[in-house]
Amino acid sequence: MRALQDFIGRVRELPRASIVAIGLFVVLGVLAPYIAPHDPNAQDLLSAHTGMSWEHWLGADHLGRDTLSRLIVSARTSLVGMCLVLMIALSVGVTIGTIAGYKRGWVEEVLMRLVDVGLSMPSLIVALAVIGIFGTGYWNMILALALAWWPGSARISRAVAVGIMNRPHVEALRVLGASPSRIYFRHLLPGTIGAVLVYATADAGAVALSIATLSFLGLGIQPPTPEWGQMLVDALPYLESVPMQVILPGLVLTGVVIGFNLLGESIALNRVPAPLARRVLKARRLAAAGWGKVGR
Amino acid sequence: MKTMILIRLRNTVVLLLLATLLCFTLVVSAPGNVAVLIAELRSPKSTFEQIRAVEEELGLNDPIIVRYGNWLTGAMRGDLGISYKTGESIGPALASRLHVTAILVAGGACIAMLLSFALGFVGALWPGRASDVATRVIALLGASMPSFFVGALLIYGLAVELRLLPTFGDAGLTSWVMPWMTIGLLPAAVLSRVVRVGLEEAMARPFALTASAKGLSRAQTLFKHALPNIAPSYINALGAQGGAMVVGAVVVEPLFALKGVADLFLQGVLFRDFMVVQACLLIFLTSFIVLNLLVDIGMMFTDPKLRRQGANA
Repeated sequence: MRALQDFIGRVRELPRASIVAIGLFVVLGVLAPYIAPHDPNAQDLLSAHTGMSWEHWLGADHLGRDTLSRLIVSARTSLVGMCLVLMIALSVGVTIGTIAGYKRGWVEEVLMRLVDVGLSMPSLIVALAVIGIFGTGYWNMILALALAWWPGSARISRAVAVGIMNRPHVEALRVLGASPSRIYFRHLLPGTIGAVLVYATADAGAVALSIATLSFLGLGIQPPTPEWGQMLVDALPYLESVPMQVILPGLVLTGVVIGFNLLGESIALNRVPAPLARRVLKARRLAAAGWGKVGR
Repeated sequence: MKTMILIRLRNTVVLLLLATLLCFTLVVSAPGNVAVLIAELRSPKSTFEQIRAVEEELGLNDPIIVRYGNWLTGAMRGDLGISYKTGESIGPALASRLHVTAILVAGGACIAMLLSFALGFVGALWPGRASDVATRVIALLGASMPSFFVGALLIYGLAVELRLLPTFGDAGLTSWVMPWMTIGLLPAAVLSRVVRVGLEEAMARPFALTASAKGLSRAQTLFKHALPNIAPSYINALGAQGGAMVVGAVVVEPLFALKGVADLFLQGVLFRDFMVVQACLLIFLTSFIVLNLLVDIGMMFTDPKLRRQGANA
């Protein structure tokens, strides 16, 4: 109960708009199959391109599929994809970052130069190249995006890990004779994961955008699975007659990303050690557009 | 100053080499046999001997370092191999498309710079809650909207509803306006915030007070004294956004049926045409690395602190 109250208290401090957007996104994503009024893939050619009606609240697309249901189920596609990408990217990033922060010396040098090279490349280009070599498909997309995203989390976890290693209690542990694995697994890793998870939420919006962009290009989520970017590109040929079908998925996606970006900014402003926050905030302001971290 | 630029240049060369290494390993690690692909391209029913001949011809049996060396020297001379899909050599195909992407990104950058200065100055000239909220909202939208959505909205608004511009095809300058706007609007939104915040911070410094004590108006102070101060941070942000715009070409080119490098890249990705992917990736990475170098040098010229560091070094 204490933990729950604590959690609610912390959530209350965040900007309300971002809580509403992210909360709605997560709830829709989790409950999608139960609250979608229609089967998102059920075609009904007779009602194709009809506008709003009691049967189809937000109209239907060129195959007569219910737009509202497709928008809701897309939230699940996006949510699952986003979580998978972040989970894989974070596991790799935290492992490499904590090893660098624990070992220091030349291990850190080598690992961090590798991270620098990774960070200097825009994630979308990396993801596209990986898909180009290994082919399109759901898991290839997830892995390609994870490959593009791990350097960011590696850099942050190294910074956090170095901070933890410099605390007096780690030195005390060493003096008391704690083994390296005890220090690493009991003290360094949990502390780092906790802090890095907070940053990950800030990156989630950029991941969602990338998934949608890849799907828009026909290289991400494959039909018939509904996805916002794909819904938009499907409706694009009919832009002149039914613009709603193009605008709706775009608006929903924008709303979700705004939620995550607001959250990211408030995290960078308040919730982290000051020197780190300043750097993260600066980096976010500089490279806030589209693909998260471009260049520096 | 000179030594600092030389150091940057050396780092750039190292980064470029790393980039080529990355492009090379990506293709070497690709699944499937390249020789079989090419042999089948030449004759649908290829024999084992033909495949061996192709292997020999491409030097696939050489040690990997020799292959890398051959590929690198070839790439420097503009020989980027042949496409597995069409059998044409990639170098000339890329060269004939480069100008499209260059025009696209350059036009987008001009729009981004003009708009961001206009918006930022408006915000700084009339400070206050309303204009602050406005630039904040615009910047947030700029960072959150997908560029393909912006493009779709522009097509709907300008081409479908108002019938001002053609949607695609080559109709001279007018057909470039929408691609430029699609690629430049989002960076403009983010950059306008950089201008706004930078000017605000500069105006709070003592030299701005001195300037207004001398009798300069707010606009004069902004232009003469605050503007030079935001140059380093603006160039830095412009570099980041320039990278974003090059990436944006990947979305904008298919959307407006432009035949540029990004379009070639996408087709390569779609058909798993490794050599095309490799060549385009190399072009993209090179442009990012060169962009970063230019940003570093630009910051050195505009930031007195960096300049002094360079003098001491």
